[in-house]
Amino acid sequence: MSKRTWHHPEIPADDTTVAWKSVGQIEDSPEFREWLQREFPRGAAEMADEEDAETSRRSFMKLMGASTALAGFGMAACRRPESYILPYANAPEWVIPGKATYYASSMPRAGGATPLVVTSFEGRPTKLAPNTGHPDSAGTDNFAQASVLDLYSPTRSRQVLNHGRPASRDDLAELVADLAADPSARIGFVFGRDDSPTRSRVAKELQGKFAGARFYAYEALESEAVKALGGRAFVADFAKADRIVSLDCDFAQLDPVGPVSAFFRRRKPEGNDYDGKPSADNLNRLYVLESGYSLTGGMADHRLRLKPSEVVKAAAHIARKLGAGSAASGIDALPAEFQQWIDTMVDDLAGANPGTTLVVAGSRQPAAVHHLVAAINAKLGNIGEGRTLRCVHTDGAGFGDLAQLVADLQAGSIDTLVLATPSNPVYDAPADLKFGDALAMAQTSIHLGLRADATAHACTWHLPACHYLESWGDARSANGVHTVVQPMIYPLYPDSASELDLLLALLSDDGKLIVGEGEEGAPTPAYQAVRSTFEGLAGKGEKAWKDFLREGFLADSSYDGADFAPDESAAARAVGELQPASGIELIFATDGSIYDGRWIDNGWLQESPDPVSKVTWDNVALVSPKTAKKLNIYDQIVALETPTAAVPPDGEGEHRKGPVVKITANGVEMEIAAQIGFGQAEDTVIVPLGYGQGYNAENAMGFAPANQSHVGQVGINTGSNAYPLRTSATAYSAVGAAIATTDRSYPLAATQEHHSMYGRALAREVSTLEDRKTHRDFEAQLATVKKHGMDSHIPPNISLYKREDRQGNDLISDKIHQWAMSIDLSSCMGCNACLVACQAENNIPIVGKEQLAMGREMHWIRMDRYYAALETKDEEGNKVVDEDNPAMIPQPVACVQCENAPCETVCPVNATVHTEDGLNAMAYNRCIGTRYCANNCPYKARRFNFFDYNKRNPLVPHNLYRGPLGEKQVGTSAHLQRNPNVSVRMRGVMEKCTYCVQRLKDAKIRQKRGQKQEALAAGDSTAVEVSTSTLRIPVDSVKVACQEACPAEAISFGNLHDEGKARVNRAKAADRNYDLLNYIGTVPRTSYLARVKNPNPAMPGAEKIGRATIHMH
Amino acid sequence: MANFFPRWTNVLPLKIAICAGALAGGVVMAFTWYATPKTLTVGYQPSQPIPFSHKIHVDQLGLDCRYCHSFVDVAGHSNVPTSNTCWNCHQHVQKDSPKLQPLRNRMDPTLEHPDFGKPVEWVRIHKTPDYVYFNHSAHVNRGISCQSCHGRVDQMEVVHQDQNLSMGWCLECHRAPEKHLRPLEEVYNLKYDPEKYIADNPHLQVETTEELGLKLKEQWQIEPRESCATCHH
Repeated sequence: MSKRTWHHPEIPADDTTVAWKSVGQIEDSPEFREWLQREFPRGAAEMADEEDAETSRRSFMKLMGASTALAGFGMAACRRPESYILPYANAPEWVIPGKATYYASSMPRAGGATPLVVTSFEGRPTKLAPNTGHPDSAGTDNFAQASVLDLYSPTRSRQVLNHGRPASRDDLAELVADLAADPSARIGFVFGRDDSPTRSRVAKELQGKFAGARFYAYEALESEAVKALGGRAFVADFAKADRIVSLDCDFAQLDPVGPVSAFFRRRKPEGNDYDGKPSADNLNRLYVLESGYSLTGGMADHRLRLKPSEVVKAAAHIARKLGAGSAASGIDALPAEFQQWIDTMVDDLAGANPGTTLVVAGSRQPAAVHHLVAAINAKLGNIGEGRTLRCVHTDGAGFGDLAQLVADLQAGSIDTLVLATPSNPVYDAPADLKFGDALAMAQTSIHLGLRADATAHACTWHLPACHYLESWGDARSANGVHTVVQPMIYPLYPDSASELDLLLALLSDDGKLIVGEGEEGAPTPAYQAVRSTFEGLAGKGEKAWKDFLREGFLADSSYDGADFAPDESAAARAVGELQPASGIELIFATDGSIYDGRWIDNGWLQESPDPVSKVTWDNVALVSPKTAKKLNIYDQIVALETPTAAVPPDGEGEHRKGPVVKITANGVEMEIAAQIGFGQAEDTVIVPLGYGQGYNAENAMGFAPANQSHVGQVGINTGSNAYPLRTSATAYSAVGAAIATTDRSYPLAATQEHHSMYGRALAREVSTLEDRKTHRDFEAQLATVKKHGMDSHIPPNISLYKREDRQGNDLISDKIHQWAMSIDLSSCMGCNACLVACQAENNIPIVGKEQLAMGREMHWIRMDRYYAALETKDEEGNKVVDEDNPAMIPQPVACVQCENAPCETVCPVNATVHTEDGLNAMAYNRCIGTRYCANNCPYKARRFNFFDYNKRNPLVPHNLYRGPLGEKQVGTSAHLQRNPNVSVRMRGVMEKCTYCVQRLKDAKIRQKRGQKQEALAAGDSTAVEVSTSTLRIPVDSVKVACQEACPAEAISFGNLHDEGKARVNRAKAADRNYDLLNYIGTVPRTSYLARVKNPNPAMPGAEKIGRATIHMH
Repeated sequence: MANFFPRWTNVLPLKIAICAGALAGGVVMAFTWYATPKTLTVGYQPSQPIPFSHKIHVDQLGLDCRYCHSFVDVAGHSNVPTSNTCWNCHQHVQKDSPKLQPLRNRMDPTLEHPDFGKPVEWVRIHKTPDYVYFNHSAHVNRGISCQSCHGRVDQMEVVHQDQNLSMGWCLECHRAPEKHLRPLEEVYNLKYDPEKYIADNPHLQVETTEELGLKLKEQWQIEPRESCATCHH
């Protein structure tokens, strides 16, 4: 049975951009063809031929007969049980059953806490949103969005452990009391790299009480800048930066240097609110020098691939060219091929006004680069109040680092160690420090953590930590604004304690560990400590405190400014410590899904595809195509993707495998699956950290079972551990690495080829620079955005279906609300914040690696990531595509709510129909699971529940196939996170984005209460005329989950009837607005804004920038 | 040829028919009794842990619906009163009534009863399926009375289900709300008599209940939705 395919006309002759999503596609592998042709992933039971059909029908009859017969026995299930309503005995204040309450809080983390507003239903926090009133608010990232799941994680640690075995909390409490009673105790405290004013204050008091106490801070991927700057930090202000140079700094995602929303506001030529004339002057210009693609690199106007050792040389080159400091002279010259590129960039920097440029160095860069960059910024006049960089004193000053801790442990100057760092040092400390051995030298070690990880098992005691949504605390945001951490719920597990609870117990005289509430409902010491810190800053008084809790922050509080003068001698010392470069360079990367490994047990993050490689559930070694060819793994990677190779016995579509390679560095070897990384520097291998924390006998890599208890059901058997290859001198990149191929391969679940769309000009890009061939300037390019690709020559489609009812009224008739969305590709960087936020809001289940490999992921938003490069001709006239150095362009796609929706016309049971206000609604209870709608969706936005992912645990291997015999997960703690206003879908039901219809409904119903107010005011309800303005919700007052989470403010959503007052309508009025697959006539409500690149005309290759319009064929 | 069928087989078809009929009837009866959910049937009247009488509290004492169901006009869910709402009065009133013993056990600390502080387990009478989103405030704030769905609760000694709450029943009203609309002032007045109201308010210039409904519908822009996402999401 073949499918009728749409034959797309040729691409316009002047368009020479070649686009691809995966290596399979650029090699045109049969498997990718199959994904494209299929429209709906494998596993959808299709009848291949007549013979198949016969078997299917017969077995269908058999099954039906059997199930009808069995139905008689199961009749008891029909009887609805008596149910009960349990009101509170004493009603808590402010709680209205069925209505959410919202509280300000924040998520403490290194680099500045994320200010949040927490949605809470009857005391149950379910959803996090950014606190937009906070001065340092910059949306939320995927980690912040997913952190609410950690609170309810079934694998969260709940029990006190003693030497890895369950123990009584009373024994530990006794130990704490004994410690508190002994002022001569020599205690070492290890905190994270986050700043908390109360913790800093308590640490000082602890130092006063215990003269022998020592304090350390450690996180696995802490910035090397800490070493260079010692207790000081630079905070960037992107609003003022016109020219930005990033030296391997992923400031938009994993490597924050300041609130990043301001950067994205400067990526929209019409201004952030789309209210101005498009102008290149509104835009900033971003130069990125990095080794492998980061999301920041994807946003770059100019990007240069450099090996880690070359990034150092580039920094030195810039410093030399600007005459910034003398330390750069100690570094070798940059290879000549890159010099012109960097020289032109430096001219652009030097030509700009002082204080309007910004050079940032990534946290992975060695201290020497941070010294050089500081000197460069000083030279460019960027440092100081009102400039692009502020130098501040952080609270972490005076804390020792891990090397000092190990030295102190070995010297025996610490008897008791309290480990409260969110990292997992036994697993993730640099190998040469031998932290595990040093830890064993402490008489007593107490680990406080959310997970019973490797460190928890290595310590003598493990105390389960309270989640930040369960504990009192405070934190500092990026600029040091004093921010509250409020508990939303009483600690779920009675054995747990927060960091402050433990510290305050040690500080108290009786050493009593008080968690949740004090005796007779008194507030805990942690609350009192947070409050007294606050009162020290803002004075006593109930009002100031209440305001602080309501707003979530103390206005006008900030880090103290610090003076900065480049330290030449320290810089020269740091330069002296640089490693000489040789051979293949191995880069230890921060993982986009699980960070340093702390999120390994978070299902949402594990299942969200890596933003660049699109691999889920595992880490992979990435190598560039050329290097892969050189290493003889390219053919293995591409060949393994074909359907003929390695078809698993059950015949289903999880073909993707990565060849396992053996990587050796620093004398240690590891095995990991390899994939192709586009846009990566040659002779580099990128290995994300954090995986491989535990394996059982089921792991596909063939490792011996190890550390099973260190990791939960989500994180077990995922990826390979790269930490053992890492030493403190080579913390982020190691030189002279060796790669050997093996004859094994490893199954990978990657989403990059799933749900591939056909079509021309899916994502569109323009440049502020005049096109040399067509002589179109910026304005002309903007004017032609709507005419890219097919839209230039296809006549408008006319639908055969009339959009009216039998009386001739328009079906989309609502005069009050008509919903629409726009997504600005110019500021979307492709992080997964929206994807995870959607998952949290809409009760979207995870499906597990096995199911995901078959293309059954349930994410309502998928983040497409395209690579594009221009096709050129070589001397012999052959077409060449520079696939080594492509542009990267992300595109989030969810249901676009077509006005002429192809899915609706094919549903046999009317389960998907339009609402009057323009939504393509999905009635789950009506859906019978034919999946015709998904087959007919050109955007591939529909997701099908192949199994009851909510009821059956998809993480137990093959569990889903066991039907009623499989392990159930009803009533586990994770279900507490569910949004009560969204149906939990069952097996056999189609689902998709609904524009968060539950939020729209809530807003509309709230608005209708206005009628009552008017009637009350008038005194007689029968005399009141309710106007449209009473019933229409205020402009831009309702936000959908993805829009709310977006740090780039790329998503606008609102009411078409609000016209120019709503941001979405101004965005849609912009020239660069276009409809996805416009030519097929679906009239989508979600439109996209073309990406704008702002290249520097003098740069080499500037004419090729801004041409990454994506055609898939 | 011998007589193949003995004489007694003459009545066999009748016997089979009677047996089959009895069996079928039995199945239908068993199904009706056993498999139809009682909680969805009109007239479902379970007994409650405390025999609370709406007739006494609403009809005789004149309590407003919102004294106990206090969030019905602000939230989707109409709350059942918390025990302390009952206790406000009943720590002074009917102090010795044995019917109120479960409440006293839960609320009176001096009794030191093991149930102290626990909720009263009221049996749910009106239940919509999990996939239905029903919002009370959206209805009562727009002129639909409690009575339209719950009946004359003020006359009920023991509350029972008055309407069948099926989707067809919902749509009936969404298609023709004028039959149920009433002035906002009368929403919680279960003794409301539309004819009397119309007679008392001649300035409205309406003759029938339906005309009043149509007038209010127009004035208040009441356009109930019939699309799926109205109740299912």
